[in-house]
Amino acid sequence: MIKENNFKLIFLSLSLFLIILIFFFPFFWIITSSFKSPEEIIATSTTIIPRTFTLEHYNKILFNSDFFIYLKNSLIVSFSSMIISIILSVSAAYGLHKLKFYGNKFVEYSLLVTYAFPGVILLVPIYLLFAKVNLLNSYFALIIVNVLFATPFAVWMLKAFFKLIPNEIEEAAYIDGASRYIVISRIIVPLAAPGIASVSIFCFIISWTEYLFASILISGDNLKTLPVGLAGIVGQYQIDWGFLLSGAVLASLPVILLFVFIGKYFVSGLTEGAIK
Amino acid sequence: MISVKKNNIEGWLFVSPLVIWISLIILVPIYIAFELSLFNVKIIGTSGKFVGIDNYIKLFGKSKFLNASLNSFYWIIGNAICQTFFAFTIALTINYKFPGKKIMANWIILSFIIPTVVVVVIWKLMLSSSSGVINSVLIDIGLLDEATGFFSSPNKAFLSLVLINSWRWSPFLALIILSGLNSINREMYDASKVDGANFVQQFLFITFPNLKSVLFVLGLVGTLLSFNIFDIIWLITKGGPSSATTTLPLLIYETAFTKFRISQAATLSIITSFLLLLFSIIFIKSMAPKEDD
Repeated sequence: MIKENNFKLIFLSLSLFLIILIFFFPFFWIITSSFKSPEEIIATSTTIIPRTFTLEHYNKILFNSDFFIYLKNSLIVSFSSMIISIILSVSAAYGLHKLKFYGNKFVEYSLLVTYAFPGVILLVPIYLLFAKVNLLNSYFALIIVNVLFATPFAVWMLKAFFKLIPNEIEEAAYIDGASRYIVISRIIVPLAAPGIASVSIFCFIISWTEYLFASILISGDNLKTLPVGLAGIVGQYQIDWGFLLSGAVLASLPVILLFVFIGKYFVSGLTEGAIK
Repeated sequence: MISVKKNNIEGWLFVSPLVIWISLIILVPIYIAFELSLFNVKIIGTSGKFVGIDNYIKLFGKSKFLNASLNSFYWIIGNAICQTFFAFTIALTINYKFPGKKIMANWIILSFIIPTVVVVVIWKLMLSSSSGVINSVLIDIGLLDEATGFFSSPNKAFLSLVLINSWRWSPFLALIILSGLNSINREMYDASKVDGANFVQQFLFITFPNLKSVLFVLGLVGTLLSFNIFDIIWLITKGGPSSATTTLPLLIYETAFTKFRISQAATLSIITSFLLLLFSIIFIKSMAPKEDD
């Protein structure tokens, strides 16, 4: 008995140490580095505690670059994609969960299999298609694609949340004469709110981090998103590390802020939603 | 009987907006790609002549195609091993009670919520051969004699990319595994303890079998998602050195947008889609858990 507890304690402390080192230290590193002087960032001898402190990189990116244009574009695209994804997937998840219609298993598996396609495979034909219907260089081009990326998994997660709502509540409402629409908007959606919140974050993140399609479907500088803007700096031969690091920190800030406020719903939604 | 029919119409009404959206954005492009693959189009926007299945025949003779397919295969296997290891370690650790558990569980997913480009920036800086912190730490503790370029040799570059990609995805997978762990009845563990089961036996005979349906979806979606990874590889190595990290998605991108051979890229896309679809169907047919609700 004592032996097993020791084993657990060793496993726990070792893995905690490794998890912090591997998954948290890199963030400490780029955040502190973004405040270091250019010389210290590229110095060959590294120090864990920074020796210099400067705001010059942030100054440069905020007041001397297109950062705010990219930020605005990313926000517009991500919020629109999120809202459309949620509406479509709440409806689909409810249909799949509640109404055992002919072909529901087929639809459910097909949704998961759509992950076989997104990505580079669709890039060339989507580019050609959007060129034909004049959608290149528009927010809508990115929104269409982001919804495609986000919804299959969103439906799968939402279905799990809907399963947790007791059938009796819904049935009681029908007996009282409520319509399907009333039941969904007054009972299902409010009861699944934490689940819907976590799925929303998921959809937002998918759009916020998307790079490939944004880099090909958008060519105008005034419509570029943050990841594409940042990648432009990564690709340069002589990387201005300070500029790049402060850009990376700022590009992560909105999702991190979002996470500060509703992150706990996302995590508890994922972990306690008993996804089965 | 009547209610079943009503369910059919209503059910399809509910799913059809999404189904139509997805089918349009997948099926129309796939059709366009198929059409392109039968022609000989080079630069986007120009037209080419009809060549039938020539593009397909030529492709199978190309060593680049074979090389990229192998790389993709290793990429999937490597990521599956690394991510399973990381994700289970994280999930099992967070499943314990310890001070700071809540904060850890909430923020472990940080690597997943930041843009991929930021992931690239982080690891390019940390793994830099001239000033990277990892090189200097490895030298300090005596594991390395001199700074090494993590992306300079084929094998090191491939392995580094697998680790970076796993770093991004494992925490997210861990949380999904955790949801499966939470749904396992605690009493089963207590009962097994009474019977004298140890930690490893509990994992093999209780934890693992009870995660079947979660692992099914992760196995399917995870494989497809890791196959499709493009940006991390492209932004760090551009497929090099000497094509060692060129997976099929990178080959398609390169063929279309740097070599300007649109028809060839379309042919590659069609073959790749076919392979992935085949994999999915086999996986679902053989692994789908029986529904018991």
